[in-house]
Amino acid sequence: MFRQLKQASVIISSAFQRMLSYQFSVITYRIGEVAEVLVLILMWSAIYSSGNGAVKGFTLNEMITYVLVGNLCAVAVRSFLPSVVARDIEEGKLSMFLVKPIPYIKYIFLNELGRIFLSTVLSVISQLCVILFFLDRIFINTDWRYICLIFLMLILAFIIELLIGFLIGAIAFWTEEVNGLQTTLERIKRFFSGGYFPLSLLPIYLITASKYLPFQYSFFAPAQLYLKKVDLGQGLEGILIQVVWVILLSLIVRVVWHMGLRKYEAVGS
Amino acid sequence: MDIIRVKNLVKSYEIYRKEPGLWGSVKSFFYRKKDFAEAVKDISFTIKEGEVVGFLGPNGAGKTTTLKILSGILYPTSGSVEVLGFTPYDRKKEFKKQFGIVMGQKDQLVRMLPAMDNFLLFKEFYEAPEGEFDKTLEELIELLDVKEFLNIPVRKLSLGQRMRCELIAALLHNPKVLLLDEPTIGLDVVAQKNIRDFIRKYNQKKKTTILLTSHYMDDIKELCERVIIINFGKIIYDGKLADLISRYATEKIIKITATDTISKESLGKFGRVEDYQGIRALIRVPRDRVKSVAAEIISSNLPVDDIFIEDMPISDIVRAIFEGR
Ligand SMILES: Nc1ncnc2c1ncn2[C@@H]1O[C@H](COP(=O)(O)OP(=O)(O)OP(=O)(O)O)[C@@H](O)[C@H]1O
Ligand SMILES: [Mg+2]
Repeated sequence: MFRQLKQASVIISSAFQRMLSYQFSVITYRIGEVAEVLVLILMWSAIYSSGNGAVKGFTLNEMITYVLVGNLCAVAVRSFLPSVVARDIEEGKLSMFLVKPIPYIKYIFLNELGRIFLSTVLSVISQLCVILFFLDRIFINTDWRYICLIFLMLILAFIIELLIGFLIGAIAFWTEEVNGLQTTLERIKRFFSGGYFPLSLLPIYLITASKYLPFQYSFFAPAQLYLKKVDLGQGLEGILIQVVWVILLSLIVRVVWHMGLRKYEAVGS
Repeated sequence: MDIIRVKNLVKSYEIYRKEPGLWGSVKSFFYRKKDFAEAVKDISFTIKEGEVVGFLGPNGAGKTTTLKILSGILYPTSGSVEVLGFTPYDRKKEFKKQFGIVMGQKDQLVRMLPAMDNFLLFKEFYEAPEGEFDKTLEELIELLDVKEFLNIPVRKLSLGQRMRCELIAALLHNPKVLLLDEPTIGLDVVAQKNIRDFIRKYNQKKKTTILLTSHYMDDIKELCERVIIINFGKIIYDGKLADLISRYATEKIIKITATDTISKESLGKFGRVEDYQGIRALIRVPRDRVKSVAAEIISSNLPVDDIFIEDMPISDIVRAIFEGR
């Protein structure tokens, strides 16, 4: 147990150390993120001022809260795993891990933790700053039961994010061109997470579909919980759906990994 | 005891051929013809504990492919492979803890981190016991003389420095089998010799079984008693290096140093003259005649100062075998 913890901490901290040499891009990316949120708020403000007072049951202030809280959740669980995994496969770097006694999946998850730590912390802080700026406009929820549920939901969402990220990266076993597919899948993920607009604006069958997909639990679902637009029971139901996805995705990852290794060509001498 | 056992190993890669040019690219966008390239065709060999075996062959012969299969990176297409009693592609943890691999053209160290941090990372990968690990590390640092640059990010090291660190990384867990794919590639002669000396010492001390590929014949000559030669995916020689020389080295080389310039013609009558430099020259002579020719040269009235008889370079022998002579 101690051994395992030490192993994890060494891997995480080496990845963290490595990221420190990219401080500049780590910081500049955050500027774009904050700008995006501000643009979304501007956009919704414009829509509300030109039309009626509420869009599908969202007041402007609720919509601003949705954008801010949703994005806070999204940056907290985000990872960049697909590109890391795809690169390891394409460049044949995976070979070096296949000969190590540590399973690649374990290594790459821990490594990702260390890699994103700094950018996640900075993102969360910058999003919190934006929230502070809009403090007088947003809906405040201090019910600890909701907050705990949101936390739990985000932890599961992060695990799902890693598993899906691994699967997307593993496409590189079958084709050398992952980028196009990867970008499209990212868009689909974002759409079904509610990142572009609240999913409740969608037709009913898509709302139902998105409830059983894993994506909305990193944005839409926690934001709805925060806004108390869904109750705790519905939140727990969401958690259950997430747990099922974690189990399902773990199995898929296992199968895909073994199939992929059969295809792996270990390029480079 | 056989540490490595390879039987009827075949490996073919899937390849997609594309016709050159734009039209070829457009066509391959819609339809790609699948093809197979056999990189290794039915090879068999065994290696005993403590042996150092040189694995030779021209570019594309299938050496790296074989090493990748031995280390479990690739699955064989058919045939059986056994290393330390394990099937490599099962990738058992106990197996991986007992072998090490260095690929000269592929770094396993994390380039953004200093070597020392890399070693500590590797220690966790191998779950190495604390005390033993520290002792091994200290020993290796000493032997390979890397102390001064342990704390510099690996990407800033020279090739030779990095290669020494790569070797340490592959040996930290005291492997029983060591696979070395061109460990001296791109190094200068001094650096090559250092690595070579290290490998020899290491093998003598630890009795590690080593399979080594290199395009530098000095590496092979100094390290390997036995060589396996492979060409187009097939083994064409497997045996003692000394036997290889006595069997295939049809010529010997007489090296002459003179006190005064000797004309090329006057040397020509003894054998094929090479590397003629006026007061220095090499003469190739059939093996069985080398003694009498040497005697002739000495007793002639040429201003010969010194005379050496040498074996044909192994690279020539190997080239002759590759070319099927
Ligand atoms: N991923 C791959 N896909 C298709 N063909 C491959 C692949 N890797 C190697 N080959 C082919 O397999 C053959 C053997 O390659 P290999 O790398 O084993 O040669 P090698 O003996 O190590 O050569 P070198 O001395 O140049 O390193 C070559 O013809 C090569 O083109
Ligand atoms: Mg090679």
